[in-house]
Amino acid sequence: MDRSNDKIRWQTLTGNPLQVGDVRVTPQSQALTLCWPNGGLVWNRPVAILVEHQGQVERIPIVDVTRVVQLSLLGLSALLGIIALALTVRERRS
Amino acid sequence: MGQKFEDIVVSTVKTQEDGKELMEKLIAVAQPSSVFSTPIIAGDYTLITASEVSAGVGFGFGMGGGTMVGPPETEAESADPDEAEATAEGGSGFGGGGGGGGFSMGRPVAVISIGPAGVRVEPVRDVTKVAVAFLTVAGSMLLMLSKMRRISRF
Repeated sequence: MDRSNDKIRWQTLTGNPLQVGDVRVTPQSQALTLCWPNGGLVWNRPVAILVEHQGQVERIPIVDVTRVVQLSLLGLSALLGIIALALTVRERRS
Repeated sequence: MGQKFEDIVVSTVKTQEDGKELMEKLIAVAQPSSVFSTPIIAGDYTLITASEVSAGVGFGFGMGGGTMVGPPETEAESADPDEAEATAEGGSGFGGGGGGGGFSMGRPVAVISIGPAGVRVEPVRDVTKVAVAFLTVAGSMLLMLSKMRRISRF
């Protein structure tokens, strides 16, 4: 999958496969590339590996547990903040 | 003055070429090979680390110029042929400069192990980051609640 224009590129890339015994592992990553005339930014993360074994292909996702927990905490705090704000406004009106 | 201008243009062009080369190296980071490490073989197991990688770069160039009108004020100025010529033509001056900066960051996300039991993906749990995030969130929540209590009292 590749969503791109000259300045912003969001790509899912497949790396070189690795053969270990009778198992073939192919890594996949996602990269966001931003380019402007005098600079650029790249953010690249692993997303999954494709495991081929005895003719069967299995896709194993790579979950960034640390990031999930961080974002969950952030979301929870935002939610609690909104609830607290709503309760305060309600209390002031009454 | 003409030679100085030429020197500045040449150095600016070279700097721009260096910048272009830097951009190409940055784009190379957006490949799976920069995220997945080379396999490490330990006994019956093959290990591959998967990391999140980010990098950025920025640079800029500048050139300036100016004019000066009038006869040379000192003998030294009239003795310098470039200055004399510039002054005779109405005067001019040039300058050039450039700068840049960048960052790169990497963080392990998971370890892939390939062994007799099959292929396993073991996530890397950064307890320090989680603890810092938790403390930051808890602190900001307490601060917000205390401010809201003060507001509700009034």
